[in-house]
Amino acid sequence: MPFDATDIGLSIVKIAIVLFMMLNITPIMVWVERRGSALIQDRPGPNRVGPFGLFQSFADALKFILKEDIVPARAHKWLYTLAPAFGLLPALTTIAVVPWGRSFKLPEKVWFGQRFFEGRPLFEPVVADVSAGILVVFALASLAVYGITIAGWSSNNKYSLFGAIRASAQMISYELSLTLAAVSVLLVAGSLRLTDVVWHQTGYFVLFDTVKIPAWNVFSPAMWISFIVFGVSAFAETNRLPFDFAEAEAELVAGYHTEYSSMKFALFFMAEYMAMGTMSALIATLYLGGWDIPWYNEPATWQGFVLSALFFLIKVVFLLFVFVWVRWTIPRLKYDILMKIGWKVFLPLAVLNTLVVAAFIAAGWI
Amino acid sequence: MEFAIFFFFAAVAVIFALVVVLHRNPVVGALSLVASFFALAVMYVLLEAPFLAALQVIVYAGAIMVLFLFVIMLLNLQHVAEPVTRPIQQFLGYTTAAAFGVGLLYYIVKYAVFEKLPDGPFHADAHTIGITLFEAYVFPFEMVSILLLAAIVGALLLSGRTYQKREAT
Repeated sequence: MPFDATDIGLSIVKIAIVLFMMLNITPIMVWVERRGSALIQDRPGPNRVGPFGLFQSFADALKFILKEDIVPARAHKWLYTLAPAFGLLPALTTIAVVPWGRSFKLPEKVWFGQRFFEGRPLFEPVVADVSAGILVVFALASLAVYGITIAGWSSNNKYSLFGAIRASAQMISYELSLTLAAVSVLLVAGSLRLTDVVWHQTGYFVLFDTVKIPAWNVFSPAMWISFIVFGVSAFAETNRLPFDFAEAEAELVAGYHTEYSSMKFALFFMAEYMAMGTMSALIATLYLGGWDIPWYNEPATWQGFVLSALFFLIKVVFLLFVFVWVRWTIPRLKYDILMKIGWKVFLPLAVLNTLVVAAFIAAGWI
Repeated sequence: MEFAIFFFFAAVAVIFALVVVLHRNPVVGALSLVASFFALAVMYVLLEAPFLAALQVIVYAGAIMVLFLFVIMLLNLQHVAEPVTRPIQQFLGYTTAAAFGVGLLYYIVKYAVFEKLPDGPFHADAHTIGITLFEAYVFPFEMVSILLLAAIVGALLLSGRTYQKREAT
């Protein structure tokens, strides 16, 4: 590998931007969740700390830091300490392959008497544009179950263990439907690379020769089943209501993180919200056209990049709000129903959908 | 740079593999195996085969080892003391392992080819692997699927007590 200072510098900038966004999802989403639940339940919610209670998250963080960090006497110390880190790792890394803006050619600049960006290199707003693309997302996301499982097992508490066992069963089951649902999108795009998936959605569908609608996968009739299965499985994968069996306050105290306190507990919290952020970004990329702006051709300049990145952010924020909305609208299912839906409804649907889309492609209709 | 990464992750893979064998706690063993698999996936990335690396993590670390861990946790093996083995068993175990190791080393030294690979483009993406798998190796591929189906049917038969009861009544 030749050493290229510009390349490495750009990579560091991209990583910094993505990490900044990911780390700030948690405080903002905690506020949105609490105020959103209050809105849905017709009560004021936290409104004392700062304007509209915006600084509530900072107060929460301060409280977490000041709490005593307790390790249960009969817990497995090493794994008990490592588990939150295991939980955080996939949540932080999966976002790396998701493109978050239109690529553009960097203008040549002179700063401090030095010439930068000679030959106008392409700025691709994605941390790692690998050919395995979405498989990397699934690979790293499949490791998310370890954080929960180890946390539940190592705290040596039966409620924790129950939470962990439920979580691993649930996440394995829904991972299948999630992956299979995404297959049809990849088939249509003809590539595993998420940048290609987004570029494939930048055109238009023309309805009755007059109405132009964006060629996002969600507007394609062949993708509706895939979209629904992927969306619901995403809720199950992130352990959100109506599928939050890993925690299930009413039955398991707090599930896998019953024994955790202080910042270790906060790390689980952060991992959950970051996983939600990643899932939203993934749904936006696969089905909602990624950074594509409807009825507008983004120019290949930095203005186009900023606009498209802003639109991607809007889509992600909307999906994050949907996560909150669903949580406070739909009650928790029963555990056997969860398994029944996963194996007997979503998995066959996803397989059938893949076959149908493959047949359509073979027939040349898509 | 690549050498440094290779040796670091090779060491990680070997050390965690040793932990799997030597550690008393089965959960720690299972997790070490996951770490070892992950280090192995890094090797694939170094060989410019990210597709294989992703599959390695998805299949082994993400699916198979989760099920292992699941079973270990359910059985709660933590408190079970291992039964004492007889000296003859230990002797046979050590000698067989040593003989296997020596044989492996012999064959590696005798048949391994230490040559520089040609510099041409190396294709290990999804497209190439898919074409190869479904053209050249379609028969073994199908045979493996039949083998797995037989395993599933066998597992169902062994665990399906309710079906037998229903027949009896």
